[in-house]
Amino acid sequence: MDEVTALTRARRGDPDAYEFLVARHTVAAHRTAALLGAGDDADDVVQESFVKAFSRLGRFRGDSGFRTWLLAIVGNETRNLHRSRKRRDGLALRAAAVSEPDEVQDPVDNAVAADRRRRLVEAIESLDGRDRDVVICRYLLDLTEAETAATLALPKGTVKSRTARALVKLRERLDVLAGDPQPAKEVPDGGSPR
Amino acid sequence: MADHRDDALIAELRDLAGWLDVPAAPQAGGLAAAVLARVGEPRRPSARSARSAWSAWPGWWRRRWRVLAAAVAAAACVVAVVPPARAAVLDAVSGLLRIGGIEISEEPGPGTLPATPSPLPSVRSAALDEARRVAKFPVRAPLVLGVPEGVELADPAPDGAPRVVTLTYRGGAVRLDQLDGTVDPFFFKKSAVNAEFVTVDGGMAIWLPGPHTITYVDRTGKEQTATARLAGPTLIWTAGNVTYRLEGVPTVDEALAIARSMT
Repeated sequence: MDEVTALTRARRGDPDAYEFLVARHTVAAHRTAALLGAGDDADDVVQESFVKAFSRLGRFRGDSGFRTWLLAIVGNETRNLHRSRKRRDGLALRAAAVSEPDEVQDPVDNAVAADRRRRLVEAIESLDGRDRDVVICRYLLDLTEAETAATLALPKGTVKSRTARALVKLRERLDVLAGDPQPAKEVPDGGSPR
Repeated sequence: MADHRDDALIAELRDLAGWLDVPAAPQAGGLAAAVLARVGEPRRPSARSARSAWSAWPGWWRRRWRVLAAAVAAAACVVAVVPPARAAVLDAVSGLLRIGGIEISEEPGPGTLPATPSPLPSVRSAALDEARRVAKFPVRAPLVLGVPEGVELADPAPDGAPRVVTLTYRGGAVRLDQLDGTVDPFFFKKSAVNAEFVTVDGGMAIWLPGPHTITYVDRTGKEQTATARLAGPTLIWTAGNVTYRLEGVPTVDEALAIARSMT
């Protein structure tokens, strides 16, 4: 079954088609909700989003693809969630990122890389919410500009300009963070280690 | 204005994606069931609370059907057999509910019923052994009801294979229709004022507790108005490609016990 067939069948109420679409898009939808700050509520956001996507199938014209359409709903649901609980969950690094032994790489390099990742997360978190969401969508979720625009309910041009601006800010923050008394062996992008 | 420093940062961000602590996505199967159960659900304030597939169905349906009952005196639940489906699903657009081969919609049933309906077309009696031999699907019987008093084969194909096999018990008050879902889509249309979701062997089942009209839909998809009649309480469930409807058992618990004793 391809997606167009699945959508046609889903409109007729074929449960196999719904399942196909859910199976195909669950991971992307869930990751999007989680990274945009839904945290533990990501499951609920995703369920709610699929329900809405299917309930409105009659209105879906198919010109942007089901995934884009679903992600737009996921983005909207996640924003609603932030509003209702007045907070958003931040990005978190896997614990394994610092504790996992790596036999191939030098442990010192590992520690440096882990530290760099920690600072990168910190820098992303310190961005203005709108810049942060664009960075998350474009690079952490690997969405296209069009998908990012749909997910964040922004014009495509805004996504473009905001992405460029966010990268500049991110580099600045990293430079500042690199100035912290961290055991940084090397600091890219012109930062000055102590 | 992407320069090489942007490229390096972008590469680093992409690498970071793999190191993030993201909770595991829900199992697609369970999520699909939960989603299907809720498609078409009216908006409600607490819609975001976690719920399982099975817990989601009954409340909504009870509510929905109660509304229906109030709104339409003879609220109709049209049941027809559709292509074999593993689970019940509500069609978001048309408001149809499908379980196995059976489709339930809110369309009104037939206004007048024939005085002496023939439940199914081209019915003939047979022994259970013969039914099992000629049917192209496994004919099963519930242990707890004992030996069937009657076995009927209905709507045969040119080669004699029945589309429906019916076992009758308790002087004909209880009938178990077994519908071959592998051949044609439609079997019955029904009307009812209440519906409840239950499970049989982990699969979804529908319990129609009240009397409802039922019409057989033949192989060509044509409604057989001569078969329109009032049916008693009915449990509908599926196993494999076969859809079962057990009619005439007064309580859902007894109907479920019978369904679970199928061999």
